[in-house]
Amino acid sequence: MSKNAALWHQQPKFPPSHFVDSRIYTDEQLFNEEREKIFNKCWIIACHESEVPNAFDYRTFSHPGGTPLIVVRGEDKQVRSFYNVCPHRGNTLLYDPVGNAKRITCIFHAWSFDTKGNCVDITREEQGFQKRFCKTDSGLREVRAEVGFGGFVWVNIDDNACTLNEYIGDSLNMLHDNMSMPLEVFHYHKAIVNTNYKLWHDTNSEFYHDYMHYFNRVTGMLQPGYFDRKYTAYPNGHATVGSMEVKYDAYEGGKSRGVGWPGLAPGGWILIDIFPAMTYNLRTSVLRMDTSIPLGPNKLLIEFRGLGLKSDTPEERAERIRDHNTIWGPFGRNLHEDLLGVHGQGRAMRPGSEPTWVIHGREENMTIHDEAGMRHFYAEWGRRMGRKAYDPFGERKITAAA
Amino acid sequence: MQSQRTAIEELVYRSCLALDEKNFKAYLDLCDADYRYSITAHSPEIRKEMIWLDHDKAGMQLLFTNLPRHNSDHSPLTRHVTVYTVDFDASQQQATVISALQVFRTTLDGGVTELFAVGRYVDAVKLSESAPKLLKRVVKLDTRQFGFGYHIPF
Repeated sequence: MSKNAALWHQQPKFPPSHFVDSRIYTDEQLFNEEREKIFNKCWIIACHESEVPNAFDYRTFSHPGGTPLIVVRGEDKQVRSFYNVCPHRGNTLLYDPVGNAKRITCIFHAWSFDTKGNCVDITREEQGFQKRFCKTDSGLREVRAEVGFGGFVWVNIDDNACTLNEYIGDSLNMLHDNMSMPLEVFHYHKAIVNTNYKLWHDTNSEFYHDYMHYFNRVTGMLQPGYFDRKYTAYPNGHATVGSMEVKYDAYEGGKSRGVGWPGLAPGGWILIDIFPAMTYNLRTSVLRMDTSIPLGPNKLLIEFRGLGLKSDTPEERAERIRDHNTIWGPFGRNLHEDLLGVHGQGRAMRPGSEPTWVIHGREENMTIHDEAGMRHFYAEWGRRMGRKAYDPFGERKITAAA
Repeated sequence: MQSQRTAIEELVYRSCLALDEKNFKAYLDLCDADYRYSITAHSPEIRKEMIWLDHDKAGMQLLFTNLPRHNSDHSPLTRHVTVYTVDFDASQQQATVISALQVFRTTLDGGVTELFAVGRYVDAVKLSESAPKLLKRVVKLDTRQFGFGYHIPF
């Protein structure tokens, strides 16, 4: 039966934890709050250590909280992060995405900084500032940075946040043995999609949408063990779904994989979502890392990385690249479908469209088509935002359990 | 009678027309049995050359065969190519052809056209047969962002 307006707006017949108000994907005020209360408080992956392998290598990062950052490896080999903002007149310090700089020199007035954030030169310092202001007053704003959990460089804007280890907790334990060796990024690309970052994270948090992927249907859903995979929820909004053996040869043109991944069963697949917008996705021979940078309530930049082992032979690396490209590359079978899916959500629920309910109501004993992963995310979202995802503006009359 | 250069240029242009029309059989008919197709891009961000797609002729055939089984954006693409250089290697009976590539996407709803990608074709063309055949195509992309993407190669 189709619905009239009243029925359309009626509370879904689920507990409030099982649906959300679509305005959490479109509202500008909520988006700005998310930047402050979530992205500027949580540990966020900026890049991978293999992107800054040598002393003085740097990488710029557009932090999802809004402030541009620099990640730089010092002469002491330590990786540090700073605002990519000159403390003098607020200019961008480093313009290129990567480089090597013993000194970070602002092009505007040539103030210089070392890789520890110290100001080492102010041009015509004494003539202009006399004794009123000097280099020690002019250090860069340092941001907490740690390297870990597969060699990723994590940053946190909040000086008072918990440690990275405390933030991650046990959520990445399932990958512990798989990430004990040095890794290296071999693939990187970005996609900008008119959608909300949470919708992309939702896509990475539920497997019910395997119906969208012909590849996943024939290699996964139709195979024994698929429905045995179970969700596990961890503190701070992280969640994982257990491993399975993917039958790649069930896809025409697919074949048995040879190179594999240390500690992972042949055809294995482990996926772990880290709050608020990062996903470890280890499948057969490749670790894929998604990191989201929301640009607006309905505009999202996603960074895609593919990683192999630093010790790969050229032949092993070539096989990982082939595996990656088949489903996850820019022309891969699954990535376009996933992006098309969230593009469609962004198109349907764009700002100005009539609010609707988005349902996360599937319960299947925490197995793969259960929507527990999304429910767990929105519980954490609500905790951090001080709002309810099903009633973000506190105006709805929601009953506890419909 | 066509000059060899003109025949090679026409081969490159016909390959674009065939892909634009999603006439994959016609496209593969232009390719030698040893055809190899790849898409590459340089990432300044990770300082690496990347391979985004790499198939032999059978692999391309499978890719085309599987396309209808997938969910894809249906906006048509238009490939605009200008052949820049043709260098003949008489001893190998081959030519190396470098062409500029621009790919436009036109939306089905409203017909808005946007520039989708720019890059180059670097083709190896086999000349030993009656008509030139594509032996190898490397699509060297400058563009590395495609929004929600596309399934059909350039």
